[in-house]
Amino acid sequence: MPSLRTSPVEDSVPRINNEIAVGEDLEFQRRWWRFENILWIFLVAILALDVTGLLGRGYLAKGTAQTKDGAMVVKYERIERFKTPSILTIQFGPSALQNGKLILWTSDSLVKDLGAQRVIPQPEASVIGEGGLRYVFDATPGPSSVQFALEPGKIGLHHLTLRVPGSEDLKLDVAVLP
Amino acid sequence: MTPFEYVLIFFIGGLTLTAMVGDDRSIANAYSQIIAVAAAHFALTWMKKRWYRFGLIVDGTPLVLLEKGKWRTETMSKSLIQDDDVMASARDKGLERLDQIDYAVLERNSEISIIPASKGS
Repeated sequence: MPSLRTSPVEDSVPRINNEIAVGEDLEFQRRWWRFENILWIFLVAILALDVTGLLGRGYLAKGTAQTKDGAMVVKYERIERFKTPSILTIQFGPSALQNGKLILWTSDSLVKDLGAQRVIPQPEASVIGEGGLRYVFDATPGPSSVQFALEPGKIGLHHLTLRVPGSEDLKLDVAVLP
Repeated sequence: MTPFEYVLIFFIGGLTLTAMVGDDRSIANAYSQIIAVAAAHFALTWMKKRWYRFGLIVDGTPLVLLEKGKWRTETMSKSLIQDDDVMASARDKGLERLDQIDYAVLERNSEISIIPASKGS
């Protein structure tokens, strides 16, 4: 049976007062404490970003955009989080209603990038084309709104365009964080 | 490990679980993640053995808190350790007073080692 390799014991651990072998490295520890102080600044900055909403789901993440003629007012989250549910609400003005119908065209990024899961209420029809989706809703005069339940599945900066006939395009930028 | 640290480990584990696993509940994913953790542990241990400085960063260095009747106040305050913590460790060793201690050392595993006066001097 082969014998195990061995080596003589060396007294290599630095001692304190030439008594106890502790191996303390104070020079390293002082550098580490300085590094910890810098790290705390970084961690507190992340917490501050999170509390204010700059990492999503907070006050500064919420955005509102509207067309000049008031046909659409959109409440959305400028900063979204990956696979985290949110709601995009579109309120329609009187000029958006045409012959008892509300017609809304959205770029396909609403589904592909921002992961629209549901439309509330259900549209009467949804048609693909023009690089996006066209939703048709039955509507009566008065305040009306449509909500999209989002769950973004793609990380990055996405551009969303919304349009109702006879009004300007509403272009929104939405950042999806990992 | 204190009960608080024990709870903390499970708490952090629970928080990271969702982001790491996501919707993938497959056995393949579970095996892959377990093997990845085991491989990372092995790699970390190997690197600590290979590079002394790396080991210092991962494990830290032992720190003397009390030396022959004198507190190392800078170490105590920056490590957020109080004299009560040292005395608690001393009592654990059957010592009753500070003058019965020669050295107190904060070890790399965060425990406090006590060297009684009779053995240190």
